Amino acid sequence: MTVATVALFASSMLFASSSVTRGTLLTMLPFASALAIASLGQTLVVMQGGIDLSVAGGLSLYVVILTKYPAGDNSRLWPAIGIAFLAAIGAGLLNGWLVGRMRLNPIVATLGTNALLFGVVLWYTAGIPTTTTARLARVGGGLWLGIPAPVYFAVATAAVVTAVVKLTPVGRRFEGVGANEVAARTAGLGVRRHRASAYVWAQILYCLAAVLHAGIVNQPTAYEGNNYLLPTVAAVVLGGTSLLGGRGNLVATAVAALFLSQLDQFVLALGVSYATRTLVQAAALAVGVALYTINWGGLTRRVVGRRTTNPAPT
Amino acid sequence: MIHKRGGALLACALLCIGVLVTAAASSARTTALPSWCGPKKIKLGFTDGFGGNSWRLVTTASARAEAKKCPSVSSIDYADGQGNTQKAISDIQGMVAKGVDALVVFPDAGKAILPALRSSYKAGVVTVPYRVTPGGRAGVDYNVFIDTPFAQAGKNWGRWIKRVLPKGGNVLMLSGPKGNSQGVDENKGLHKILDPTHKYKFIGEQPFEVTNWDPALTQKVLSAAIAKYPKIDVIVSDFGPSLVGALPEFTKSGRKIPALATSDGNVLGCFWKKNVAKNPTFKLYTVSTQNDHARLAMDWAIALATGGKKPATTHFPSLVFEDSTTGKPNPVECKSKLPGDIYLSAQLPAGVQAKLVKG
Repeated sequence: MTVATVALFASSMLFASSSVTRGTLLTMLPFASALAIASLGQTLVVMQGGIDLSVAGGLSLYVVILTKYPAGDNSRLWPAIGIAFLAAIGAGLLNGWLVGRMRLNPIVATLGTNALLFGVVLWYTAGIPTTTTARLARVGGGLWLGIPAPVYFAVATAAVVTAVVKLTPVGRRFEGVGANEVAARTAGLGVRRHRASAYVWAQILYCLAAVLHAGIVNQPTAYEGNNYLLPTVAAVVLGGTSLLGGRGNLVATAVAALFLSQLDQFVLALGVSYATRTLVQAAALAVGVALYTINWGGLTRRVVGRRTTNPAPT
Repeated sequence: MIHKRGGALLACALLCIGVLVTAAASSARTTALPSWCGPKKIKLGFTDGFGGNSWRLVTTASARAEAKKCPSVSSIDYADGQGNTQKAISDIQGMVAKGVDALVVFPDAGKAILPALRSSYKAGVVTVPYRVTPGGRAGVDYNVFIDTPFAQAGKNWGRWIKRVLPKGGNVLMLSGPKGNSQGVDENKGLHKILDPTHKYKFIGEQPFEVTNWDPALTQKVLSAAIAKYPKIDVIVSDFGPSLVGALPEFTKSGRKIPALATSDGNVLGCFWKKNVAKNPTFKLYTVSTQNDHARLAMDWAIALATGGKKPATTHFPSLVFEDSTTGKPNPVECKSKLPGDIYLSAQLPAGVQAKLVKG
């Protein structure tokens, strides 16, 4: 993934140099950071063999809580963040209960939760956007030491999540449950509890992404989460985490989020039409996913083998 | 989305004056009944394809306020299609079943709504679609379609650009989804005014950069354009408020915000006031965002159903609202104590709008 990202930046410089100017990078990096954090959440769920489609509804809800509750009043920002995180834990527990305990299919369960969350969004806002408070806009749009502030959040989050999953006993157990449920149960690990916890942590990470997103976009709509549904799943897959569960490549996911965001800017800067832009993005995704999911060695062997065993009739 | 009419310039100017005069006259005599309000008692229905944003809330409230001016309207029923075409169709059928005498429809789904409109019209209900063309013909599928010439907004912007940038310059246009007819028509109007001068260059994707009217995408598109084009002299956009998050990209790149020709919104006026001192090139010109389009549709429906006098026109004109360079017809307005999502160009008082959008 890192190689692909470096290659993308290199071709950005060659073919569309305007996509790597300071101004463009300063716009792209905050979006990439928010996407990276949300994608880390999605990775945790995928590591448990699940998928979380409620990222759209969840993120939308947290964004509107963060903008509508303070309604421009800086002093109400902290309570708003608190409420948003509580809502995130609630949504995560609901997903966790449906998937972990009730054994529902994750696609069905999270799709249901997603509809429920969008229902709450519409009830709370009637679909009306509110302008972000000045304090939050300073975090989302601000520069710390010349680097967009959200980048620090993304790097720190990636580091902490990776450290917990890869280095602590809790994290190793979490990965173990995702890799092999039967083995984990035999070893006495609480499979359901681990499954459910992935959804809760995912929502907490979506909420952190929402805090950044609400700051980056000055007047977010009530449907901002829709921009995250496919990109988070794409980042997980491009990052090399198997959709069947098991080991997660957390740092690679974060890098993939950067890749996807830069790809956006790259095709924008190419100045091609909207249709071509969409095609280039789709092609890049297909190639990226193919690199991981197709068994290239086996394929080559099969093709070569067939040639040798089936000589052309004479 | 519009009816194409020839000889538009003079007709448009006359229309503008006509509507202004009517508006002034109707506000002068507040107690007298409006001429479109006839004696016959009616029940009125009003359906929306999608009611979930602040523009729609203000528009719906404007329509209600207009209907309330006429005592012959005994009840007003409203239904929100919530962006679901099937619901929008069944809303119309439901209104007819309820026995409304007149029905005003915002047909967001366009031609998909036409059969429902036709059956309402055939059932003897006065049927008046507005703003989004449903196809079909007046007098066959519905009584009358109240349109707005979007190209006229493009012409207004074009004339202003000629005035503030007489030496020519680079024009960047942003609109909603790819190929949306509003953006396409506005772009035609713009070209009609600017092309004969041979001084203006349209940059970026043609006819406009696609933003889906989404603030996050607008931000990305604008920052890419800023990096790609070292010189942008004027931005044209048909959704001014969505630019508030994106315009600071100029400052981030160490450039001045250029002139902006767009539609109005309180948040945009306030943004201009805050930034104009540091950005002397940031001149602002807005056309009305047209919440009052619904009022003309109401007038027509009520006139036809109650036996009142028909309004003079079926076209709601594009009206200029603010101009920071001349202060005419209005200087840039900002009500910083009120929410950003209200539209000061609407007849509905700002305080009433603020209550609406705060819910």
